[in-house]
Amino acid sequence: MALSLRQLISARRHRLVVLVAILALAFLFLASPPDGQERSSWLLFAGKFHLLTIHFPIALLYVVPLLELIGRHKRFPHLRASVEFMLMLGLLASMFAASLGWALARNGGYSGRIVTQHMWGGLLTALACWLCWILRDHATTRRGNIVYWAALAITVALVSWTGYRGGQLTQGENHLTDGMPTPLQTLLGISTDDSAATGGTTLTVIDRNTFYGARIEPIFAKNCYSCHGPNKQRGQLRLDSYKAILRGGKHGVVIQPGNSTGSELFHRINLPQTDDNAMPPSGKRRLTPDEIETIEAWIKAGASETSPLNAVQGAPTNVATTPKEIELPKYDPSIADKARSTHASDVAALQKRYPDLLQYESRTSAMLSLNASLVGEKFGDSDLVSFKPVLEQIRAADFSGTSISDHSSDLIASMKNLRLLRLSHTHVTDDGVQRLRHLEQLQSINLLGTQVTPAMLGMIASMPKMEHVYVASTKIAPASANTPTLKQKLIF
Amino acid sequence: MRDHDHDDPKAYCDPHIADEQERTALTTMFPAEKFAYLQAQTRRHFLRNFTAGVGTIFLGASLPELCRSVHAADRSIDGNLRIDFARDPSHPLSVLPPQFAPTAKRVIYLHMAGAPSQLELFDYKPDLAHLDGKDCPQSFLAGKRFAFITGVPKLLGPQYPFHRAGQSGQWISDRLPHLEKHVDDLCFIKSMKTDQFNHAPAQLLVQTGNARLGYASIGSWVTYGLGTENQNLPGFIVLISGGNMPDGGKQLWGSGFLPSVYQGVQCQSHGDPVLYLKNPEGVSRQARRSMLDVVDEINRQEHKEFGDPETVSRIAQYEMAFRMQMEATDTMDIHKESAATLAAYGARPGEASFANNCLVARRLAERGVRFIQLYHWGWDSHGAAAKEALNLGFQDRCRETDQPIGALLDDLKQRGMLEDTLVVWGGEFGRTSMKENRNGGSPFVGRDHNPGAFTIWMAGGGVKSGYTHGETDAMGYEIVKDPVEVRDLHATMLYALGFDHRKLNYPYQGLEQKLTTVNPARVVGEVLA
Repeated sequence: MALSLRQLISARRHRLVVLVAILALAFLFLASPPDGQERSSWLLFAGKFHLLTIHFPIALLYVVPLLELIGRHKRFPHLRASVEFMLMLGLLASMFAASLGWALARNGGYSGRIVTQHMWGGLLTALACWLCWILRDHATTRRGNIVYWAALAITVALVSWTGYRGGQLTQGENHLTDGMPTPLQTLLGISTDDSAATGGTTLTVIDRNTFYGARIEPIFAKNCYSCHGPNKQRGQLRLDSYKAILRGGKHGVVIQPGNSTGSELFHRINLPQTDDNAMPPSGKRRLTPDEIETIEAWIKAGASETSPLNAVQGAPTNVATTPKEIELPKYDPSIADKARSTHASDVAALQKRYPDLLQYESRTSAMLSLNASLVGEKFGDSDLVSFKPVLEQIRAADFSGTSISDHSSDLIASMKNLRLLRLSHTHVTDDGVQRLRHLEQLQSINLLGTQVTPAMLGMIASMPKMEHVYVASTKIAPASANTPTLKQKLIF
Repeated sequence: MRDHDHDDPKAYCDPHIADEQERTALTTMFPAEKFAYLQAQTRRHFLRNFTAGVGTIFLGASLPELCRSVHAADRSIDGNLRIDFARDPSHPLSVLPPQFAPTAKRVIYLHMAGAPSQLELFDYKPDLAHLDGKDCPQSFLAGKRFAFITGVPKLLGPQYPFHRAGQSGQWISDRLPHLEKHVDDLCFIKSMKTDQFNHAPAQLLVQTGNARLGYASIGSWVTYGLGTENQNLPGFIVLISGGNMPDGGKQLWGSGFLPSVYQGVQCQSHGDPVLYLKNPEGVSRQARRSMLDVVDEINRQEHKEFGDPETVSRIAQYEMAFRMQMEATDTMDIHKESAATLAAYGARPGEASFANNCLVARRLAERGVRFIQLYHWGWDSHGAAAKEALNLGFQDRCRETDQPIGALLDDLKQRGMLEDTLVVWGGEFGRTSMKENRNGGSPFVGRDHNPGAFTIWMAGGGVKSGYTHGETDAMGYEIVKDPVEVRDLHATMLYALGFDHRKLNYPYQGLEQKLTTVNPARVVGEVLA
């Protein structure tokens, strides 16, 4: 199976024409690659049809090995007759689609690693396809057959890889892994929380102690990076590093340090959303007035990369302007299982004996909350004794209106993790409350309508975390508070 | 069955039966005939028979999916663990712990139906006073729909003087002298927005997260998620200050697709607190008990026979009603409060008033009721009549609510309950910066509906005190900073109660239904302490 160039030329001249066309396309790609600029709208319009046409060659090229395989079966030999036609059609269609793709990328402001790889992937696919077409003639021998099948395999692999890259362009870089079922992710060792994946190729370490790092970079990251970042550079502008910001884009510099009104960037973020030049463009989230003021103050102060947080005057400082994003915890009840194991059976038994009184603080916590007030006077000192095995796990205890008295003080005092204690309308006295002095976590104690007197206030004042002391309808009067801090804690 | 067919003279006449017999014989015994039979199949036969096959394919492919969405699988569509809200059917309201440690255990929601004017209460706009009587700028009107305003309206300045109050120095008008004392406990959101500008849908949106009928109210969601501590009282109680029902009707406390046991129970200020709760004349509690015992026994037999969990839940409902006869009547009876307390609220026992309801709300909260919903009415200050004029009826509404709310906050604070009770006050939308002058030169002043901006406040339950979130423009017409959607408010309330709003869900119609709907909602972290 000697395959020489001359044989090729003499055998089928039109194959050479196609090869020349492929090479011409490659030359075009090399000479004018996608560089992030926007050009002819006519070519861009034509390029939009790339997304439509591209699926035709993809389907054809997947079908080819299928036809070859099924055609081996004695019932479907006729299928193999159409293989050559399919290959040729797939080749032409892929070249056509690739040219449209180039038109889209070159004129639509695309640039970056992914689009380049996608473009060359498409061209290599066409080339591989052409090879298959040639090699098929020589597949009559065993060796020739092996070579042909290898070429087919390469074609299919190239189609898949290029398609995946194209998906990343339109659907986002993690379009396959994002929605992947968790077990499959673990199996493949993929982590979607990978910050490197979203951070792109930026490796610059940003100093969060500077005004730029703490206030400006987050605004750009949130609002601008998607088009002026590592993966897209609309208008040849990148805003993802300080150097790039100062370098500017195809229309020149975007920031003039010290002169906010003369800065293109500041001008554009202030344009009404309907303006063609407005940034972020219509459809995207607008910058808030505070964000605009922050950028203005930064430019006025010289747009420095290194000046510290407090060096920039006039930036809005209101704490509310920095949004406080709440991270909603992932639900995993199993994390409490181990912590609960020491007392779970005691809790279950108590819940059975005193329905509704004892609850876990939450589904992910081993700590407990006890509300004896629901039972009222029927709940007394002897009942609390049965809670002995779980006392240390109780974080909130409400004995309002129960028959709890000073006899229970020692039990309550051993609730080491207690934060909130309600003893309102019970029989506790100063004596009982004094014995709670070692409850270091206690933040709130309710003594409303009890017999406590100002005598126990000194001990309350000494409790490290105490914040709220409810003493209405007791012998304690507002005047009893002898220090301002204590006065703040007492609630009447 | 075959024998029976032979007995039936119709058997051989019926073409379907004959057809079937013929087919069975042919296919089993004679392969050649089978071929002939198949040859005889017409397109008509095919069209008649294939539909069953399509149905079978569909069921085969989607039955597992359908079953998964009907039965509570332990994982959501996103692959994360679902929270299991399953309960013993005889205790549908039993307490379940929240997802994570909460800052609020219960909610008192004060809904001012009709939408009170933020511009006369909390959202102070001095610039608007300067522009009073001037034509409204066109930019305010372009693309906007109003309920009543037509043409070019005049701007309307604040109708009451404002001043700063409390240590936090927040603006408040002179209409709310009692609430003013609590201004350092309040957390205002002045940038609430909605997409509904008529009362009923807007109220539904605020109360159920959806402007259409058929969705579960906040109270239903919360009692579904957490149950209620006091099994002798409903977990979700609704109190209306007499007179008008809110426009949204009883759907505002409906349970939607959630089991009906989670719907709000409307209580009355006089007579039976819950309709038909009292035993009829001449029936003693003992007699009622024996009757219930018999009914329960019948229901138990029914359950044994058919195994329908709804039967068990019906037994639970009867038993709860029986227990409620004692405790609900006792709780709703404000005669038991001291004269001083009644005076503090301005409550008069036996009347249907907001003041009475505030006092009852405090009593319910003390007894462990999970969600207490109050409605006041008459806040729709268009200025078309005296009772709905900003310079007349509006003053009465302020008077009716100011003192009781002040007393309620006093009581909750004194009892240490503001620490774990979330109080929410608000209407369903805001009012315009423009004057609505429906009847020409009438002496009544009013404002139209403004869904673009309104003010609510929250207190207690882990929200910041003495704090204002969000801002409207100089006219108080549009939000310029930190807009908060109704669903964001819901997400924030659920967060305070210990839930990720996405996790408190209920599979229905193939969707994990949520209070915050399918739209992304944000927990307003800025208002949380």
